[in-house]
Amino acid sequence: MRAAGAIACQVWRELYRRKDIYVLFILLGALLLTLVSGDIFGVAGAGRYVLEAGLLLAWAFSLILLIATTARQLPTEEERGTIYPLLAKPLTRAEYLLGKWFGCWAAIWAATALFYLLSAGVVWGQGGAVGLPELLQAFLLHGLLLAWLGAATLALSTRCSTAATMALAWIGLAVSGLVAPAVPTVVAQAPAVSRELLLALYYALPHAALFDLRVRAVHQWGAAPAGAIALTAAYGLCWTLFFLLLAWLGYRRKRFKPTT
Amino acid sequence: MSKRADAAPTAALGALLVEALRVTYRLPGGRGGTVPALRGISLTLPPNRILGLLGPNGAGKTTLIQTLLGFVKPSAGTVQIFGAAAGSRAARARLGYLPELPLFYPYLTGRELLDFNGRLFGLAPRVRRARAADLLERVGLTPAADRRLAAYSRGMLQRIGLAQALINNPDLVILDEPTSGLDPLGRLEVRRLISDLKTDGKTILFSSHELSEVELVCDQVAILSAGRLLRHGNPTDWQQPGESLEQLFVREIQADRAGNAA
Ligand SMILES: Nc1ncnc2c1ncn2[C@@H]1O[C@H](COP(=O)(O)OP(=O)(O)OP(=O)(O)O)[C@@H](O)[C@H]1O
Ligand SMILES: [Mg+2]
Repeated sequence: MRAAGAIACQVWRELYRRKDIYVLFILLGALLLTLVSGDIFGVAGAGRYVLEAGLLLAWAFSLILLIATTARQLPTEEERGTIYPLLAKPLTRAEYLLGKWFGCWAAIWAATALFYLLSAGVVWGQGGAVGLPELLQAFLLHGLLLAWLGAATLALSTRCSTAATMALAWIGLAVSGLVAPAVPTVVAQAPAVSRELLLALYYALPHAALFDLRVRAVHQWGAAPAGAIALTAAYGLCWTLFFLLLAWLGYRRKRFKPTT
Repeated sequence: MSKRADAAPTAALGALLVEALRVTYRLPGGRGGTVPALRGISLTLPPNRILGLLGPNGAGKTTLIQTLLGFVKPSAGTVQIFGAAAGSRAARARLGYLPELPLFYPYLTGRELLDFNGRLFGLAPRVRRARAADLLERVGLTPAADRRLAAYSRGMLQRIGLAQALINNPDLVILDEPTSGLDPLGRLEVRRLISDLKTDGKTILFSSHELSEVELVCDQVAILSAGRLLRHGNPTDWQQPGESLEQLFVREIQADRAGNAA
């Protein structure tokens, strides 16, 4: 486990030096301040819509960061050949994968926290109100989505190049977040056979939309029942474990092309 | 033949014990094509020796090293490192390895690279710091310790690679062409470092094409050709009067090729 920690720290160090996160943070701040200073929504509704815009951007940025960061971890080590000295150390492949996944997830979730804080801060600064319990719940489930999506991306990257992994992860996320929720309405009109198939697919896919509590947070609908949150969190955890297992199966016996 | 000389009695104590090792690569494409890279190699390396691994291109040196590290699985035969199977955690804990091409993380500084590798061995922070400082001094990189690896020259990378191979104070050090890319002074330093490692009681195995260098530091050589071990032992036992290691090497390889052709 200590070795996995070392791998995770390595991911953080790289992210810290790449500066992608700062750039997005500054971009977010600039966009929100433009919204506020332009007073586009009129004084009364401003807080709510600034928060909505902030959370939308926080989602977009966190997904971009997570998929891009995770997708390049394994392929880059193989291309650079740094995988060889690593595997000569007393480090199991499971620890290596775990370190990579945790490093990416923890860093991007922490960045997400900054994005949330900035959004809420701008709203507060304008004298608007933010429902803290809703915001915390939204942040928690957001983190769980990042956990399983990161694990899925890592699993893809055990067998695909960085570019292919990124493409597949985005397609998977679009299916999970946009297509899957539409299935029940489509099912009603579908012929019997494909109905079964569609429903099977519907239940078999992880549902990204479940983890998105932005609307509750923006409109301050109050905290969701703790049981529902816990259940969703457990659901996210199960998918995380499943994808991590998949990553391990894909990587366990992988051979690397010889460098010499 | 002299390669038999030190086989039996020291086998149990060997730092490295290779028995009837065969490695056959399967060619990609799934048509069942195979390349026999190692065809039955047996060799014992007692502790505290320096073994130079020689052989023409394609002889199987890198394959042998990668098998010792556990990257390549033998098709037959066994490899033991201090009694532990190659690739096992116990074996890896006692190994230091410098790959042929020094490939590291461009965004790390030299000191950070050493610290990272120390963590992989579970060393305490205080130990890591002390060892990193000591190793940086030994490979002459103290002034560049806090510069990013992206700014290192080929020779500097080679030296930081050597330092990372030693961070766990390994008992067996495996170096794939440790002096390639170094200037004459750098080579001299590396030779000194290897001799110092022997003084510290370590066992060293390195591959090289620089036979004059091998001659200067090694107390054993192993000559591979086409996946077979032609010679293993002290070269002075087979050298004719006034013959350099290079001349011996050429003679051995040519004799082997002539023998195979006949
Ligand atoms: N991954 C592989 N797949 C198929 N054949 C391989 C593979 N790696 C090596 N070989 C073959 O195995 C033989 C031994 O190769 P190896 O790389 O071990 O030689 P070497 O002694 O290190 O050569 P060099 O001095 O050029 O580095 C060669 O015939 C090579 O073509
Ligand atoms: Mg080689």
